[in-house]
Amino acid sequence: MPRKVNRGVDYDEAYDSYDDYDYEDDNDYSVDSPAKVEEPQQKVKKLWSCSICTYDNEEGMSVCDICGVIRNPVAGDFKNSNKKTAAFKFDAPSPDDMVSTRLQSSKLNTQGKRGKQNASNSTDTAVNGKLDSKYSDRPPAETFHGSSGSIEGHNSLKKGILSGQLSDEASGSSNPLKIEGTQGNADDDFSGQKQTAPASNFGKMSLSDKPGNSNALDSRKHKSTAEYHPDKWMLPDKANDTLTQLNLAIVGHVDSGKSTLSGRLLHLLGRITKKEMHKYEKDAKIQGKSSFAYAWALDESPEERERGITMNVAVAYFNSKKYHVVILDSPGHKDFVPNMISGATQADAAILVIDASNGAFEAGFDGSKGQTREHALLIRSFGVEQLIVAVNKMDVVGYSKDRFDLIVTQLGTFFRSCGFKESCILWIPLSAVENQNLVAAPSDARLLSWYRGPYLFDAIDSLQPPARDFAKPLLMPICDVTKSSSQGQVSVCGKLVAGALRSGLKVMVMPSGEVGTIKSLERDSQSSAVARAGDNVTINLQGIDLSNNVMPGGVVCHPDYPVAVARHLELKVRALEELAVPILNGSQVEFHIHHAQAAGKVAKILSILDPKSGKETKRSPRCLLSKQSAVIEVVLNTPVCVEEYSNCRALGRASLRAMGRTIAIGIVTRIIQ
Amino acid sequence: MKIVRKDYLPDGPGSVKMTPVDSDDLWFAYNLILPGDSVMAVTVRKVLREMASGSRDAERVKLKLEVRVEGIEYDKEGGVLRIRGKNILENEHVKIGQFHTLELELHRPFVLRKQVWDSLALEVLKQASDPTASADLAVLLMQEGLAQIFLVGRSVTTSRARIETSIPRKHGPAIAGYDSALNKFFQNVLQAFLKHVDFNVVRCAVIGSPGFTKDQFHRYLLLEAEKKELRPIIENKSKIILVHTSSGYKHSLRDVLDAPSVMNMIKDTKAAEEVRVLKDFYDMLSNDPDRACYGPKHVEVANERLAVQTLLLTDDLFRNADVPTRRKYVDLVTSVKGSGGKAHIFSTMHSSGEQLAQLTGIAAILRFPLPDLEDIEM
Repeated sequence: MPRKVNRGVDYDEAYDSYDDYDYEDDNDYSVDSPAKVEEPQQKVKKLWSCSICTYDNEEGMSVCDICGVIRNPVAGDFKNSNKKTAAFKFDAPSPDDMVSTRLQSSKLNTQGKRGKQNASNSTDTAVNGKLDSKYSDRPPAETFHGSSGSIEGHNSLKKGILSGQLSDEASGSSNPLKIEGTQGNADDDFSGQKQTAPASNFGKMSLSDKPGNSNALDSRKHKSTAEYHPDKWMLPDKANDTLTQLNLAIVGHVDSGKSTLSGRLLHLLGRITKKEMHKYEKDAKIQGKSSFAYAWALDESPEERERGITMNVAVAYFNSKKYHVVILDSPGHKDFVPNMISGATQADAAILVIDASNGAFEAGFDGSKGQTREHALLIRSFGVEQLIVAVNKMDVVGYSKDRFDLIVTQLGTFFRSCGFKESCILWIPLSAVENQNLVAAPSDARLLSWYRGPYLFDAIDSLQPPARDFAKPLLMPICDVTKSSSQGQVSVCGKLVAGALRSGLKVMVMPSGEVGTIKSLERDSQSSAVARAGDNVTINLQGIDLSNNVMPGGVVCHPDYPVAVARHLELKVRALEELAVPILNGSQVEFHIHHAQAAGKVAKILSILDPKSGKETKRSPRCLLSKQSAVIEVVLNTPVCVEEYSNCRALGRASLRAMGRTIAIGIVTRIIQ
Repeated sequence: MKIVRKDYLPDGPGSVKMTPVDSDDLWFAYNLILPGDSVMAVTVRKVLREMASGSRDAERVKLKLEVRVEGIEYDKEGGVLRIRGKNILENEHVKIGQFHTLELELHRPFVLRKQVWDSLALEVLKQASDPTASADLAVLLMQEGLAQIFLVGRSVTTSRARIETSIPRKHGPAIAGYDSALNKFFQNVLQAFLKHVDFNVVRCAVIGSPGFTKDQFHRYLLLEAEKKELRPIIENKSKIILVHTSSGYKHSLRDVLDAPSVMNMIKDTKAAEEVRVLKDFYDMLSNDPDRACYGPKHVEVANERLAVQTLLLTDDLFRNADVPTRRKYVDLVTSVKGSGGKAHIFSTMHSSGEQLAQLTGIAAILRFPLPDLEDIEM
């Protein structure tokens, strides 16, 4: 008799169905059983199921609440469905005892029950059949192996190929205590070396019993599986398409030439036709801004063109030798930093554009007025580790080596203090206007005389491909929304943080929790069949209420693994240098996380940390000053979609702004409410 | 607030008859009336009457009641003050000791009787009856996709409208969607603006936003006004001021009240002063943290050492407080003033007061540094 709260709806979504498949597979390998038996006990230790009336009793009860049957001698009730086989395990005594003392017996038990389990498997297949039909957009079970687009397919595939290896692992590492240690700690970043896939499958089974826990558990599961198989799943992908996607943010102080550089790159790579370019040139001339012609390729709105500044992040695409590059051309003006944050948070790597001309570099680098520092820090806080520093407008300073070296020394010290590794920074002198050092080696003798390094296009190829969470459940923060009322569909655009997508898949849009169906996928205005983690795509959704607010800042996720929506968070932050006003208890801030932003306040400064060791140096301080690190609590006026940093990095990185400046950057350590 | 009749001794008992005339006055009344006081006003009560035949008959009767205040409630949106208490005025329909809730509305006179008219109460009364201090200001705060309209009064900031839409960014063909979405957004904002901004009441209307949204909207506003012949806008063109703010959220109101162009319009008003004082406090805190403190404990200690130069308090602390607590704060204010300092009482209905309320509601700028305050538990 399941309790209402603790049991979700069983068997209605894909994850359950493939779990059942896994289960069948596992039965072939009896060596797995110790691990299998141990797992659920750890996961679901809160309840035990009575053998007579199947009521779920509290852990503390030794006698069934309903019928009074004593708890212990139940360890073998397999009458129930497959689901119940999971349930029986938590009616064993205290899990801890079980692990240390009863391992042997439980192992025997399971093996003894194997026949029965297999019997119950036939019912499982029946259930699965039903499931598949219910999950209409999913191909029948047999074709899972072919469908590399879905996580499900991925898992069953892996299972088939690697189960042999898995069983070895399991027998080799069947130290249940070890597993228990890691299990107990749900929010630990699970290392999973010893974790076997079958074991984690059981985690999943018990997980479907406890939907409340799903997030923590499921990420663990997928992490552990990912360590075994990413390549297997990637292979078909590699064959079709040798280029991986790289999201490249272009940032820098206002008027340093970000848009012009991007426009020039696109033009040189043939992404802008001659006709278009001619039109831009003509229009720009008419407005008396002929130097902005290249920038107009990206600054499309009349407002932006009239004022000659970028206001919103523009997205453009080109292919390099190694990557599908997605350019995120950010605004540099300080008023549009919120736009820059929400647009460039997708970045895997960044080009920081510096204006080399006399005075302009200094103005941009100035702590209180310039945006160079702020952008670099923000980019770092988005998780970008690789940086190309494009020292632009070298033509203005006559390609002077001294000027370049000066900039390199000044910025270098600063980057070190932000936490960039020196080896991950590439310095490239160039001139976008004179086309020096962009897609070919420089032709100007003054630059050639001292510069021997790579040109920009080469440098982009030299970036390391970022790691992706293919095997986690789908997560895609929404960057942009367009509604088409005529077709009754909503197009949302963003970068997949984890998981994969293809048309026909059902997805949930948070925070509203609506479930819609993906009608089609677009990448760079071309329809595509599958999108995986790291890809920047537009998806057209059907079945979502148009009047309902699907807003930028929402998250598209798997229906079974909705992202958390919270307004009370614990953050670990670092205050930036040169704070105009210290951060106090009660300071009002604007909170930015992925594409979402909300007004809120610092509810409490819990402790100040030592920036180097991360140890607590002072509890409940009065205020937080420049450059200090601290643990704080933030309460937001409106809830946002968020994940703890340990679960999902992209959804756990936040920045705080106040009075038009970024005051702190940090990570979400705990979701309080 | 119109004071009809005054009859009290300073720091002694007495009564005042007054009529609230604008919505701010209700806020003053809310701060003035405390549990234990008595309020007399004309009110309407449903009275049950028993006929000779035994049948019952309910009737609404207008009568004058005086209640001993037990609870008080302020309804900002509705503009009503509800005062709950026991009747103390004999009446043919209502017995003494029966509960009744008085509703104070605009233009309805009432008599407030207090056992003690302390200095703070008198201060509030003086402020409330000062007709020149009015600072009605309409503020439209926007950023792309979000707009909010506020009315900033002398001591109350009311949120009138909030418009939120999602505006697509530019992604190739979506640029058309951007334009139409922005237009739609402006349309909605214009409707709200016309509905909530009455130029007969407000001194000026401020449009504030980061970036160029304010200019875009201003242009749209004037264009539409020409097109649709919106008299109030055309006639009051000069009363519309553009101000740069750091965001479209409510706390950016301080940028508006801080802006020199707005400051000129509302120079001597409480709202502007509050913003200035709070800014001083923050400046002090960042420049010389030892010379600024917050929290009741710290401020108290600082006051004992005669270190308080400027005291910042929210009116929250006085309201609904029991007599000894109120007494404590009144004494604090008097003692600060006695030692040559200044005391500012912030209205929690303003954004600056809200901010101060976040900092425990009490703060002080000190004459000389007190580094050891840091060591005292808060």
